[in-house]
Amino acid sequence: MSLFVSGVHPRGRKERTSKVPITALPAPGKLWVPLSRHIGAPALPVVSAGERVLRGQLIAHADGKVSANVYSPVSGTVGGVVGHILPTGKKGDHILIENDFEGETALLPPLAGRTPESVLARIAEAGIVGMGGAGFPTAAKLDVRGRAEVLVVNGAECEPYITCDERIMLEYADELLQGVRLAMLACGAARAVIGIEKNKPEAISLLSQKCGRGGEISVKALRTRYPQGAEKQLILGCTGRTVPEGGLPVDAGAVVVNVHTALAIYRAVEENMPCFERVITVSGGAVEEPRNLWVANGTPLQALADACGADADCARIVSGGPMMGEAVFSLKVCTASTTSALLFLTEEECSARVSSTCIGCGRCVQACPMGLMPVYIESALLAKNYGEAKRFGAPSCIGCGCCSYVCPAKRYLAQSVKLAKKIIKERGI
Amino acid sequence: MAQIDAYKAAASPHEASGADTRRIMLDVLIALLPCIVCGTVFFGLYSLMLVAVCTAVCFLSEQLFNLARKKPLTFDLSALVTGVILGLNLPPRAPWYIPVIGGVFAIVVVKMLFGGLGKNFANPAATARVFLLLAYSTLMSQYIGADISGNALSADVSTGATYLTGGTAALADSFWGVCGYWGYVLQLFFGAVGGSVGETCKAAVLVGGAYLLARRVIDWRIPAVYLLTAAAMALALWGSASEMLLQLLSGGLLFGAFFMATDYATSPKWRYNRVLYAVGLGVLTMLIRRYGAYPEGTSLAVLVMNLFVPIMDKYLLPVRFGQRTKGGRPYPQVMKWSMRGICALLALALLVAVPLVSYTEVGLYAGTYTYIKGVRRNFGGGYEFTVQGEADLSVPGQYEYFQPLEFVVVLDGAGERVTEIVPVTQSTMGYTAELSYFVGHSYEEIAARTDWSAADTETSATRTNVKLKDMVIECFTAYHYELTDYEALPYAEGNILRAERKDSLYRFTVRGTADLSVQGKYEYYQKLEYAVTIDAETCTVKYIATIRESTMGYSVDRDIFLGKTAEEIAGMSDEQIGADIDTGATVTAVSVRGMIGECFAALAEVNHG
Repeated sequence: MSLFVSGVHPRGRKERTSKVPITALPAPGKLWVPLSRHIGAPALPVVSAGERVLRGQLIAHADGKVSANVYSPVSGTVGGVVGHILPTGKKGDHILIENDFEGETALLPPLAGRTPESVLARIAEAGIVGMGGAGFPTAAKLDVRGRAEVLVVNGAECEPYITCDERIMLEYADELLQGVRLAMLACGAARAVIGIEKNKPEAISLLSQKCGRGGEISVKALRTRYPQGAEKQLILGCTGRTVPEGGLPVDAGAVVVNVHTALAIYRAVEENMPCFERVITVSGGAVEEPRNLWVANGTPLQALADACGADADCARIVSGGPMMGEAVFSLKVCTASTTSALLFLTEEECSARVSSTCIGCGRCVQACPMGLMPVYIESALLAKNYGEAKRFGAPSCIGCGCCSYVCPAKRYLAQSVKLAKKIIKERGI
Repeated sequence: MAQIDAYKAAASPHEASGADTRRIMLDVLIALLPCIVCGTVFFGLYSLMLVAVCTAVCFLSEQLFNLARKKPLTFDLSALVTGVILGLNLPPRAPWYIPVIGGVFAIVVVKMLFGGLGKNFANPAATARVFLLLAYSTLMSQYIGADISGNALSADVSTGATYLTGGTAALADSFWGVCGYWGYVLQLFFGAVGGSVGETCKAAVLVGGAYLLARRVIDWRIPAVYLLTAAAMALALWGSASEMLLQLLSGGLLFGAFFMATDYATSPKWRYNRVLYAVGLGVLTMLIRRYGAYPEGTSLAVLVMNLFVPIMDKYLLPVRFGQRTKGGRPYPQVMKWSMRGICALLALALLVAVPLVSYTEVGLYAGTYTYIKGVRRNFGGGYEFTVQGEADLSVPGQYEYFQPLEFVVVLDGAGERVTEIVPVTQSTMGYTAELSYFVGHSYEEIAARTDWSAADTETSATRTNVKLKDMVIECFTAYHYELTDYEALPYAEGNILRAERKDSLYRFTVRGTADLSVQGKYEYYQKLEYAVTIDAETCTVKYIATIRESTMGYSVDRDIFLGKTAEEIAGMSDEQIGADIDTGATVTAVSVRGMIGECFAALAEVNHG
């Protein structure tokens, strides 16, 4: 089996939460449910201020195919469509819901048949987006009209600290596998491969046991190597297929869904539950009690910090994994379907980057899983020679951050390549 | 609940590998420590001072340059690395101004003028060494021998040679009690030879290199492929596995492979470009050593290959993940497979070729030989004798000319036949030996041959053939005397010191004296000792090996006794056995005639007893 050869191997640091069962975080009094935390157009609100909503009631409608419905995670009163801070620092539209703690739930109507069309329609209706972090609307992703031969299920979880997918695989194995079958039905794939990094042996053995031998679903143990869970590297690791440069997974006959997404599909189809909550790993050295939590979308991060006992020696808060996650600068930011982890890192755990001169060691070139030359892309960018940056492969960057990780001069290589990619795209070079 | 307010936003990734520039440079300095220590031990404190001066000059010139350009001072240790590497590249007794000039050149001209750390296109230390070699050729080629006790405090310049300038003559005959070839290897490995301060002790270089590899400071591909290519090139250029090993262990090759070729700024960034770069280094280094005007080529090869690095990294790009050709096919991994192929081919060539050209040196201990200069055993088990002699090509009354001859005579492993004769030196005027008279023939056939004439009856070629015959006979004799196991017989009487037997062959070690006194001038009795082998079946003399006789040239012409019976030898007149009638050689021959007679008598006794 061919594997990608580069990448890095950061310390896993998953041990603090990998044995902690998932518990539910009680929803706070006020939730700001974001309307545009997925890729594509923001959802259009369908409720107005003062209206009472139930848990699981549609509050915003998808605007087009690449968009997602938004449901209320609690029962309560709509406080209106308000501007609230997004993780990027900009303000964005959120629907403020004041929780009445009644927990009155409205479910979707039961689904009559199990045809690809009906399942796809239900996935779209339930507002499911990719829960690995990118947030691409799942229905749009699975709607490949029979071009998919294999469904790759991402249980790699290659980022340090994060354990939500591992816990889901252990605690919701049957539901998860049912969700995988539904996803296969929806995209028309004949078989599915669940890719799991070898540092999660329990999940590998449990799922292999449940899948059995020779079944349509198989489990593939993958080398523990970041970015094993990146889409293209995962497809290569699970199926040996290479997604062409600039192409989509389906060009290699594959569709990728995250294990959490598969669980959400199961819940939407079998339990008629729309997607309004997810499991979030709260961890890091500055947390007293690291936990895996079911968190309602729209919960302010402050509530997670309070629940897990984040302490004062926290030097940086990261939403997502330490490799690709974004630093949070306000705990008022709210969770969404794409928030996989919240890390409270101490000074020792996060590196304060002080850039110095490039010494030309070439480690970024060795580490890049896409075969780019970040060092030369950066120098081309600084020289405003974007054609050269393109020649060194900037448009193929997946943003994994391996180059920055290994750089001994602590240069912001990932950002440089990202910027070069953006400029090249904008200017059509 | 503690209030969290001290956190900051920052760009991802939020973790980073432990490596940073200073730590890397510190690692290189640590890795250089064994070389510094060994250089000091072998070449004394003066050499340590050279390294220290060079390092200090490099550091200071970098800071002065920074001051002059109003830039912040740099404390990334990279100047120290350059300084130590250059210092270790200097001859142990270079004058003090050599490291000063070299250090300033390396830092200011090669590094800082091009933009400082990471921007220089050529390795500062290698370039400075090449510069010094050009500017101070004599001073930079004056080496001293490594001497643990004698060099400690002395600053004298006593000239010595390195292996690359002086060959094995520059090496001691034995090291730690190991003689000959493996003694040379050990000497070179532990650095007890002349050479630059830090490069001679290969053990220290390997320890440092292993540290750098373990710390992942350097890419293993560069030293590994460099040494692999250098080995293959040395094998191809010298055609000998033993020379290949000596070449690998001599000069600055190993030091350069681990410390100079791996310099970050001046080596390629992509792994397969590094392989290509290392292949180029290996080829260039060995070509310079073999054909160049300078004995050592590592620094120059590094400098030349540095010039190719920018173009390599610009046009030989990694194949990107999922990259397609214009036709939509997977992009061919040309560099990857060609570089892997080259390495595999080189390794395969070494695996195949090394056994073919490797020799075991065989010592000749007991006998003294007229022609044989050395024996070694080749991979096929055959014995290769190097023989030297002279053929008298003089034409009486016209001119006198002695043609030097050198051949390599190869006997098969059983010592039965000549399998090959390689002429090394013989007449260039066409009077060459007729090798078909020898190759494929046994001792008996060669000894029995009477017609040695070549194309014409009595030419110089015939005389060459006759001389070669003597040489080949001596090879057989030496083989049977030194390399064949005989069974000892319990017989020792009179002048017979030892009697041995192998099948029908009886060998007697016999001693005697020859009276070489010249009446009225001096009195001298030459002690003689020979091993005479008699074939009991034919009762003829088969071999005579010389153990002791005159070293002044009064040696016996053994060949006249070979193949003769006791009666024939006893019946030989003095005139028959001596080239001229009244020299020491004739006296010796007369004694030998008597000694052979004693051997035949002993044979009769042994057989009857």
